[in-house]
Amino acid sequence: MIMRFLFPFIFLSILCLSFRAQSHPEDELIIREIEEGQLEVQDQQVSAEYAAALKRQRIRKLSAMPWYEKFFVFVKAGIEHIIPKGLDHILFVLGLFFSSLILGSLLWQVSAFTLAHTITLAVAALGIVQAPAGIVEPLIALSIVWVAAENCIFKEASKWRPFVVFSFGLLHGLGFASVLSEYGLPQGNLVPSLLAFNIGVEVGQLIVLVVAALLVWFIRDKSWYRKRVQIPASIMIALVGLFWFVERVFL
Amino acid sequence: MKKLFIIATVALFAACQTQKDQTEMQAVENPFYVEWDTPFGAPPFSQIKDEHYKPAFEKGMKDNLAEIDAIVNNPEAPTFENTLEELERVGKLLTKVQRVFYNLTGSNTNPKMQELERELSPLISAHYDKITLNAGLFKRIEAIWQSRESLGLNKEQLKLLKDTRKQFVRSGALLNEEEKAQITKINTEISELTTAFGQNLLAETNGFELVLDSTDLDGLSESIIAAAAESATQKMEKAETEEEKAKYKDKYVFTPHRSSMYPFLTESNRRDLREQLYKAYVQRGDNDNATDNKEITAKIAKLRAERAKLMGYETHAHFVLEERMLKTPEEVYDLLMQLWKPALERAKVEVADMQAVVDAEGKDFEIAGWDWWQYSEKVRKAKYDLDEAAIQPYLSLDNVLNGVFATTNKLWGLTYTEIFDVEVYHPDARVWEVKDKDGSHLGIFIGDYFTRSNKRGGAWMSSFKGQSNLDGRKRPIVVNVCNFPAPIGDAPSLLTFEHVTTLFHEFGHAMHGIMTDVTYGSMSGTSGPRDFTEFPAQLLEHWASEPEILKTFATHYETGEVIPDELIAKLLKASKFNQGFANTEYLAASLLDMDWHTIKADEELKDADAFEKASLDKIGLIDEIAPRYRSTYFAHIFSGGYAAGYYGYVHSAVLDSDAFEAFKETGDVFNPELAAKLRKYVYEKGSTEEAKDLYVQFRGREPEIDALLKVRGLDGSME
Repeated sequence: MIMRFLFPFIFLSILCLSFRAQSHPEDELIIREIEEGQLEVQDQQVSAEYAAALKRQRIRKLSAMPWYEKFFVFVKAGIEHIIPKGLDHILFVLGLFFSSLILGSLLWQVSAFTLAHTITLAVAALGIVQAPAGIVEPLIALSIVWVAAENCIFKEASKWRPFVVFSFGLLHGLGFASVLSEYGLPQGNLVPSLLAFNIGVEVGQLIVLVVAALLVWFIRDKSWYRKRVQIPASIMIALVGLFWFVERVFL
Repeated sequence: MKKLFIIATVALFAACQTQKDQTEMQAVENPFYVEWDTPFGAPPFSQIKDEHYKPAFEKGMKDNLAEIDAIVNNPEAPTFENTLEELERVGKLLTKVQRVFYNLTGSNTNPKMQELERELSPLISAHYDKITLNAGLFKRIEAIWQSRESLGLNKEQLKLLKDTRKQFVRSGALLNEEEKAQITKINTEISELTTAFGQNLLAETNGFELVLDSTDLDGLSESIIAAAAESATQKMEKAETEEEKAKYKDKYVFTPHRSSMYPFLTESNRRDLREQLYKAYVQRGDNDNATDNKEITAKIAKLRAERAKLMGYETHAHFVLEERMLKTPEEVYDLLMQLWKPALERAKVEVADMQAVVDAEGKDFEIAGWDWWQYSEKVRKAKYDLDEAAIQPYLSLDNVLNGVFATTNKLWGLTYTEIFDVEVYHPDARVWEVKDKDGSHLGIFIGDYFTRSNKRGGAWMSSFKGQSNLDGRKRPIVVNVCNFPAPIGDAPSLLTFEHVTTLFHEFGHAMHGIMTDVTYGSMSGTSGPRDFTEFPAQLLEHWASEPEILKTFATHYETGEVIPDELIAKLLKASKFNQGFANTEYLAASLLDMDWHTIKADEELKDADAFEKASLDKIGLIDEIAPRYRSTYFAHIFSGGYAAGYYGYVHSAVLDSDAFEAFKETGDVFNPELAAKLRKYVYEKGSTEEAKDLYVQFRGREPEIDALLKVRGLDGSME
């Protein structure tokens, strides 16, 4: 009777001797425990395995998608890694924004930043360079402090500022690369996915700049702009950057 | 004021809204209570929480009994439709929760589920016993059985009626009240004894440990040492007294569990320690202590014989085999003894091969049981040298999957598409939709291949949804669970050839579950007799080791190069390695099982040791080999449901070798005509016909043993 009501379970031992269990489940339990010992489940290991499996699943899903869907997914991932996940990159971009209201100067800085992080993101994602997060992340925090502090000291961005920003951009690229590798890149379409991710990052960056520009649009020409907006905002940014630096190094 | 009013209204509305949400939530709280409106009716795993199982089981059993009562109390006269077909329909909730729960306790468990598993198992046994012993239900079934000739039932319906009735009869439904009481008494006694047997064995297995110092580890590899150190650490953490903790500090622990013992026996150069561990393993339940199983074993066998006699059978084996493909003990003995002689001869050659290694090493001892693993490994390296690491790059999981998909595509035209809209219980479980030759949906296949810490060892096939055509066409959801190594980093998962065979084997079971096409769910897929159901699985393994097929999928994961012929040749040769040992230990256990269950009720039984010795002496088992299970730890037959059934594996092997031979005889391993027959008579039919009839319809004759002897290298070709 049991046979009819208990659906069969089929087990296979290491020797490929398999057997069907149509007996009472308690018999099964006993045999398994005797053969293998009790299964000891350790939470930490289970969740580490789960995270690795999740990444594999995402890569499988991606590789089954048509190219345009994949492109869209990576653009979206790129945007998400700025808004809302990339708070430190938002602050850095804002740090650049508060350095100058002259469009030309801002454009130079942002372009230098973009070019730099594109380069390092690519070389790191392709596995050419590997940078430990323990060093990159605190440095990223410091770069925020740097640009914000400079905003308070100099009234207008210095000529060599784009070069400073460029070197900071290299750092930020490495930061993107580490989140991207956690996210998982499909082996087959590495370069297009990288490109799409980068496009997403740029879009995210632009959104931050446009929103910031809209917010200060009507007060940017006021005489008190620098004293009441530019400097306090930069100090806030620097403080947050400093806090992150301390947090990433010592906590 | 007006503003305030608006705010109040909004707040009130919001409150009503939440109230409504809550009641709705309570109604759908337990996902087992609602119809699953998911793609292909797959379980909504993300909604199922640990706390849903227990109430669903309880309600499931309660509903099930109420449904059975409704069938019994139906005022209409019993008919096939209102009784047997209704039985097919009842217990839906219980089946639903059971399938999910028992699948996940195997493949994705946690401490809560493990505890519940223990708590539930006696309740579930008792539940099914209540149905089997329901006299009113049997009365209806018997009435239908008596009038079966005039009912115009088709073949499948007749088989369902026959099988169902038989299950009641085999539980004692036809006996008079006095006999029934006797049977119940015997059953209770047996059940107590089998429980005691299992508990003793567990205590004996867990009770022995080899606690070693760092100076005792000669020969052991790093990973084995690390595992032994880990198990010492675990024991230390669990220890309650300081004294006990000190016992395990900086030590290495090995136990008689196979996963711990085999590596030790293979690698340790300390012959004295190998002997200790081996002897501890084979003496389990035979130590004349409080957890000794000798008396229990004899008592169980005796009680089973008495029960068989009461039921009108000569012996317990007769009672069991009535339901199998081989119908009598004589047939089983005949099969086992045909294999025994060549297996034993081959084992003797293997002993000689190993002794030669011992002698060449200049050592002075004769090979004993505890030397077998170490010296057979040495022989393997010398004679069958096969570097697993050289083969694995050709066997990436994706390639092997493509291989098994292509094989079943060539045989039956099935196609596979990986899909992502079906929910899974773990992100490593992959889902494919299986379509038939004409493009119609056939079933869902879930492959959960990587090992993980909350998954049971081994490999198995199971299902989340069964197949039936009773109330519309219902197609199955089948799962294969294996323990292959998970990939490290971005590299693919690379398998050994043994893994490949396992994958094909389980896929064979999956095919049996997916291609099945019967009306009544209880007779679908893998529901056939135990000495038959391994056949469709083992059969598929043959395609994996066919060189032509291997070459189509075994390509190097980096270079794309096809596996070289010489590697294939080595691989196939290695598969015949140590077969003397493997077959001898298995056959000895099978014969021992048969001996225990062909004793007569009035037979005088000496103690289990004497019985076992007589049994093994009779067949001439050599001292270097112990039966795969000795009586006192043969849990399959004294605690599980394998009494007079352990031979089943080899019987299935006879069938699969003989069946594959049919393909080879045609000169085309994908012979379309044979493949069609195979599908029609084996993979589709479930248990809707007698297994032997199905086989004969496919093969055109009864199975023969020769092909198996050749496959296992027992045909004398290895000398």
